[in-house]
Amino acid sequence: MSDTVKIYIDDKAYDVPAGMNLVDAAKMAGNDIPVFCYHPKMEPVGMCRMCLVEMGSIQKDRASGEVLLDDKGNPQIRWFPKLQTACTTNVSDGLVIRTNTPQVDQARENVVEFLLTSHPLDCPICDKGGECPLQNLTMEHGPGSSRMVYSDKLKLDKHVPLGDLIFLDEERCIQCARCIRFQDEIAGDDVLAFHERGRSLQIITNSDPGFDSYFSGNTADICPVGALTTADFRFGARPWELTEVPSICPHDAAGSNISLSMRLDRDHGGRAIIKRVMPRQNENVNEIWISDKTRFGHHFTRDEHSRLLCPLVRRGGNFNETEWKTALEYAANELQLAGGSVAAIAGSGMSNEDLWELRQLVTGLGGERLGAWPPTHAGADLVAQVGVGQGTNLGDLGKGDAVLIVASDLEEEVPIWRLRIKQAHDRGALVVVMNGRPTRMDDFASTVIHYDYSKAAGAFDLLQKEHGDTARQLTGAKNLVVIAGAEGVDLAGSRALMQAAANFLIESGHVGKPNNGLMATFPGANGMGQYYLGFTPEATQDIIANPPKVLFIAQADLLFDDPAAVSWLKQVETIIQLTLFAEEPVPGVTAALPIQSFAERDGSFVNGERRVQRFYTAQGPIGQALPAWQVLNRLGVQLGLGRSKLSASILMNEIAQSIPAFAGITYKALAHVEPQFPLVGGDDVYYGGTAYRNKGGLGVQIPAAADNGGAVTKGKVEKPAAIKASGGQLLVVPATRLYNRERVFRSSELVHPRVPDAYVAMNAADARKLGIENGDMVSISAGGSTLKVRAHVNGAAPQGAVILPRHLSDTPAPLAITAGEVSKA
Amino acid sequence: MHILLRAREIPDIHKYDVYVKNGGYKAFEKALKMKPEEVIDVVKASNLRGRGGAGFPAGVKWSFIPKNEPVKYVAVNADESETGTFKDREIMETNPHQLIEGALICAWAIQATAVYIYLRGEFWDVAHELDKRIAEAYKAGYIGENIQGTGWTCNVYTHLGAGAYICGEESALLNSLEGKLGQPRVRPPFPAQKGGGLYGEATVVNNVETLTNVPWIINNGADEFKKIGTENSAGTKIFCVSGHVQKPGNYELPMGVTLRELLYDYAGGPPEGRSFKGILPSGGSGPVIRVNDTTLDAPLSYEGMEKIGTILGSASVIVMDETVDMAWAASKIIKFFKHESCGKCAPCREGTYWLDKVLDRIMAGQGSLDDIKLIETVAKNMQGVTLCALGDFAANPVIHTVKQFPEDFAKHAKSPENSKSKKPAAKQKAAAGD
Ligand SMILES: Cc1cc2nc3c(=O)[nH]c(=O)nc-3n(C[C@H](O)[C@H](O)[C@H](O)COP(=O)(O)O)c2cc1C
Ligand code: SF4
Ligand code: SF4
Ligand code: FES
Repeated sequence: MSDTVKIYIDDKAYDVPAGMNLVDAAKMAGNDIPVFCYHPKMEPVGMCRMCLVEMGSIQKDRASGEVLLDDKGNPQIRWFPKLQTACTTNVSDGLVIRTNTPQVDQARENVVEFLLTSHPLDCPICDKGGECPLQNLTMEHGPGSSRMVYSDKLKLDKHVPLGDLIFLDEERCIQCARCIRFQDEIAGDDVLAFHERGRSLQIITNSDPGFDSYFSGNTADICPVGALTTADFRFGARPWELTEVPSICPHDAAGSNISLSMRLDRDHGGRAIIKRVMPRQNENVNEIWISDKTRFGHHFTRDEHSRLLCPLVRRGGNFNETEWKTALEYAANELQLAGGSVAAIAGSGMSNEDLWELRQLVTGLGGERLGAWPPTHAGADLVAQVGVGQGTNLGDLGKGDAVLIVASDLEEEVPIWRLRIKQAHDRGALVVVMNGRPTRMDDFASTVIHYDYSKAAGAFDLLQKEHGDTARQLTGAKNLVVIAGAEGVDLAGSRALMQAAANFLIESGHVGKPNNGLMATFPGANGMGQYYLGFTPEATQDIIANPPKVLFIAQADLLFDDPAAVSWLKQVETIIQLTLFAEEPVPGVTAALPIQSFAERDGSFVNGERRVQRFYTAQGPIGQALPAWQVLNRLGVQLGLGRSKLSASILMNEIAQSIPAFAGITYKALAHVEPQFPLVGGDDVYYGGTAYRNKGGLGVQIPAAADNGGAVTKGKVEKPAAIKASGGQLLVVPATRLYNRERVFRSSELVHPRVPDAYVAMNAADARKLGIENGDMVSISAGGSTLKVRAHVNGAAPQGAVILPRHLSDTPAPLAITAGEVSKA
Repeated sequence: MHILLRAREIPDIHKYDVYVKNGGYKAFEKALKMKPEEVIDVVKASNLRGRGGAGFPAGVKWSFIPKNEPVKYVAVNADESETGTFKDREIMETNPHQLIEGALICAWAIQATAVYIYLRGEFWDVAHELDKRIAEAYKAGYIGENIQGTGWTCNVYTHLGAGAYICGEESALLNSLEGKLGQPRVRPPFPAQKGGGLYGEATVVNNVETLTNVPWIINNGADEFKKIGTENSAGTKIFCVSGHVQKPGNYELPMGVTLRELLYDYAGGPPEGRSFKGILPSGGSGPVIRVNDTTLDAPLSYEGMEKIGTILGSASVIVMDETVDMAWAASKIIKFFKHESCGKCAPCREGTYWLDKVLDRIMAGQGSLDDIKLIETVAKNMQGVTLCALGDFAANPVIHTVKQFPEDFAKHAKSPENSKSKKPAAKQKAAAGD
C-alpha cells in the first residue's frame, strides 16, 4: 500500500492510505458511515447529506511539525464549526472525526426524515424491500414516526419506462444521482439527467431510444431505493426468497462474475429458475458491473419451448425422440460403424470439462482433429504466450499506460472491457483505436486510426509506417495492453494480425508482467479454454476442407453462423450433435443430444485474460438434458473407451494433470476468495449497492508463457494476400452486434425491441453509385449466401466496404470478410 | 457621493464618450502599467469586500488564483436574484463601462483570458445593451488582442441564464455557464482553484457592484477608499430599499449609515400614518429584525448587522409596516425558496417543500400550535447541513419570523380561541400590495 496517514475515528487511531476517501477509509477501519449518494466507484457529490460527521484536525506547529498540546497534554484539535460531509473529504494526517455523538445521530435522523417526507409507503410491494439502503438506514438511524402529514406527500408517476429494460418510480427516487453518474462516469453513456429543480427534480432519459446503454441494469443495483427496477425482475420476487448461486456470464470473453438469483417459480412448474442475474464482485474481471446482455440474456436457461428436451435419433428417414440409453447405444453403434475418421467441432460456450471429455472421446476413437467454433479468431496460442501478465487488472491502467484496440468493435464484442477501458482513458491512459470504420470505442479514444479493410491484417505495419508518433507513444508507455478482434480479416489475416500484435508487444518489452500483453475478443465465454484443451480454428478449417466420416458438433450453431456449412456438412456421413436448442439439429444429423446450459450444471471457463473461473449448478435440468461432459463420458463408456466419471471437479483434476497450463488448478483453488476493495456486497447495501460479495471464487489466472521471466520470441508474420473487391464488387465485412438473434438470446424477449432489424451499413458514395438510398432493401451475395437486408447509409461504413452485422437475419452473413455483390432488391 | 451610481450626477455616463470624458478607462490604463500583483495588492489594501452577499475580501480572492496556469477566467455575477435586489441592474444600465473597466482590471490582475458576464435570464435587454458597450470597448482597444500594446489578450462575453435564483450561487453559476444543470458544486476545489472554476480553470467570481468599485480604487488609491465607510466595511454600498417606505429605490451611501437614516432621511419613512414593523436587511434570505430603537440605530455594515442578529448580505432592504402579517410573509418567502431550491441536496429540497405545505396549512387556519413548532424544527434541521447556503437562507424566514413575531403565527393556529380563523392570506395580500 502507498503512504499511510494517521486518522482518528471516535478517539481511536487508524493508519489508512493517504488521500483515500473518508467514507472508504472509515469502512476499512470498521466504521460504517451511512451514505446514500456516495458510491465507492464514483466521484462524491455531497448531495444526500447522510454522511455528516464532526470533523477536526490535530493542530501542528507550522515550523516544527510538532503536534500542539493543550494544558492537559492532549493534542489540540481544531473542530469545524459545522458538521462536514465525510464523502467529500479525503483523509490527511491528523484528521479527527466523531461519528457517535448526539449531534451526528441527530443529523442522520434528520436526513432520513427529510428523505422520507417524499417517499411513498411502498416497502411491502417494493422490489428493493429487504435489500434497500433507505429501508435499512431508516431502521438504523431514522425517526420512529413520521411528522409529515400523509396527504402532503407528492403524488408522482410510478411506472415510467426509461427504456425497454428499466422502469422509474418517480415517487421512490431520492435524487441521489447515482444512476446519472454511473451512466456518465462509469459507462460513458450519458443518457440520464435531472429535469426541473427543487422537489420537482426528476430523472429523465435524453436518448432515443430511451436509456440507450448496454449497462443500464447496473443503475438498478446502485439505486439506493426501489426507484429503478429492471423489466426482468420487477414484481418478480422478494430478495429474501432468492437463493444466490455464483456463476460466470456465458456470453463473452470477459467472463463477468455473476450471481444467479434462484427461486422456485409457479409459472415454470414449480422449478427453480433464474429470477435475476446480478453482478458478483471480482475487481480484476468485471468489478461490480455487468452488461445488459449478461443480465438479461439468461432466459434460454428456462425456455422449454426452445430447448431440446430429449435425445433425437435418425432411423431410416425419421427423426425420433428417444431415451438416453437408446440414443447413446445407437450413437455408439453408428460411431463404430463409421470407423476411425472422426473429428469434432466445439462451440465456445463449452466448458473446459466438456471439451476435455470431447477430446478424450475423439482421440479415443482415433481422431485427431479438434475444431474450435466459430473459426473466426486465430492466435489464442499467442495469448497463451504473451497474454496479459498474471495479476492484470484493467482497473489499474491510467496515466502513462496505453491500450491499443485493433480490428474490434469492443462495445459490441466485449462490453465490459469497453466499460473498463473507457475508465482507463478517464484516468489518463492513452487509448488508440484502429479499425476500418468508426466504432463506439472511438468516443473514448485518444487517437483513432482508420485503415482500408483490405489492409486490416497489416494494421501494425500501417501503425509503424504511417503513424510513427502514435506507435512510439504506445511502445513508450509504462504498461501496454493490446486488444485484438478479427473484424475485417479472415482466419489467416487474424493470425497475421495477432502475430504482429504479439511481436509489437515483445519488441517493446510489454509482455510477461501485469497490465501488459495481448487480449483478444474471442467469441463466447471459453475461447481460451478451447485453445488450452486443443481445439483450434485451424483444425476447423481443415475439417471443412476435408470432412471426416464422423463429426461431433458440440454446442455450435454452424448453420446460423456459416452460409457454407450446409454444403460441406453434406459430405459427413455421421453427425453426432450436442445441442441446447430444439431447432438447431443440422440436416442429416444421426443423433441430436440435449445438453444443459451453464445454469443447470457446474463447470469452468477460461476468460480472455486467461482466468479460469468456475460456475455452479443453479437449477435442475430442462427436459432430459445432461451436462455435455456427461453425455460424452457415457458415450465413451458405451464405446469401451473409459470409465464413468462422476463430477465436473474430477474432470478438472484430470485436466490439471494432463494439460500443463492447468497445473495445480482444482475446483477448490478456483473457489478461493480474498477480501476485495472496495468492500462491496455485504449487508451494507447502502454502500456499494446490491452487487454480491464473491463467495464462489475469484478464479485462477493461467500464467502466460512470458510470465515469470519466461522467454518468448517474435514469430514470423505471414500476411495473406489482401482481400480485394473487383469489378463492381464491394468488400463485405461481417461485424458483431451485442444484441442479435443468436439462439441463446432469442428467449430473452424483453430485449427484442433493442435487437436491430437486419441491416447493412453502406457508404454514401457506394450507395449513390448503386442507386441505393438509406432505408432501401438491398441484396448482398457473398460467401455463398444471399441476404436481403435494409441499407443504412449513415456514415458507419467506409467507401468500398459494407458492414454486415452477423446474426440479425435468418440467412447467415459470411464468416469472414469477403468480396460480394450488393444491389437494390 | 457616488462611486457607482454616477449617472445620478453625470447624465449619459453609460455612453462611451461621456464615460471617457469623465475619466473612464484611465484606471484600466493605469492598472495595465502596474504589475498584476501590484493591482491585487491595491485591491487587497482597500479592504473591498464582495457585494454579492458573503462579503469576502475581493483582493484576497484574487490572490488565490494560481500564477502559472495558462488559462484563467473572470466570471461577473450579474444574476441579481436575491429577493429585493435591484442594484446591479441599475449599475449595468446606467454605468456599464465602469463595470466593464472593473472586470478588465480584475482580468489583468489575475491574467485572465476571458471575462464572462453572467446575467439572469430576465435581463435580456440589459445584456443586449451591455453587448453594445462591450463592442465600444473592443473598438477602443480595451478588449481583444494585445490590449493597449501589452501583448495580453482578453475577451469579454455576456451570457444569459435561464431564470434560476440558484445560478447566482457562484458554483451553480459556473455550471450554468458551462451549459450544465444549474446546481452548486462540491467545494473544495473552490472556483479560484484549478479544478474548481469555469471548465475546471481557476476563476474569480465577483458581483457586479464589487467590480464596479475597482476603477475608483485604482484611480484614488486604497487609502481613500478606506476613508469611506467603517473600519471593517470600507466604501459605499447600494441599498435597495423596497416595501413600505415613501421613496423606495437604490441609495448609494457610505457603509455605516444607520437604518434610521436610510429609512427616514433617504427613503422618506413609512407610508402616512403607519409605522415600521419588520425589516429584512438582506432580502428574504436573511434573518428578519423587529424594528425598534436599537435596530434602527444599528449601522448598516457587515459587523453592524451581525450585532443585531442579521446580515448585510447584498443590502436588499425589504421594509414591512404593521399591516404585514409576518406568518404570511414567511409563507411567501418559503414559496420562493421552494420554487428556487435546486433540489440537489436533501434537506433543502425536502425541507422547503415540507415547510411550504405546513405553512399553507397554517395560513389556511388549519394548522395547530404543534405545526408552528414543527416548522421551526424543520427549518432548524435544514440549517448548517446543506451543500450551499440556499438551504440556510431558506430556513431563515421561518426561524426568525417565528422567533421575532410569534404572535403572528399563534393567531393562525387552530385552537378554541381562534377557531373561527379569518382568511388572513387574502387580506394581507391586498395590504402588502402584492
Ligand atoms: C443561493 C445563493 C444565491 C446567490 N445569488 C447571488 C446573486 O444573485 N448575485 C451575486 O452577486 N451573488 C450571489 N450569491 C453569492 C455568490 O455565491 C458569490 O459569493 C458572489 O458572487 C461572490 O462575489 P462577491 O465576492 O463579489 O460578492 C449567491 C449565493 C447563494 C448561496
Ligand atoms: S433513480 Fe435511484 S439512483 Fe437515480 S437518482 Fe433516483 S434514487 Fe438515485
Ligand atoms: S442547499 Fe438547496 S439550493 Fe443549495 S445545493 Fe442544496 S438543494 Fe440546491
Ligand atoms: S452527501 Fe455524503 S453520502 Fe451523500
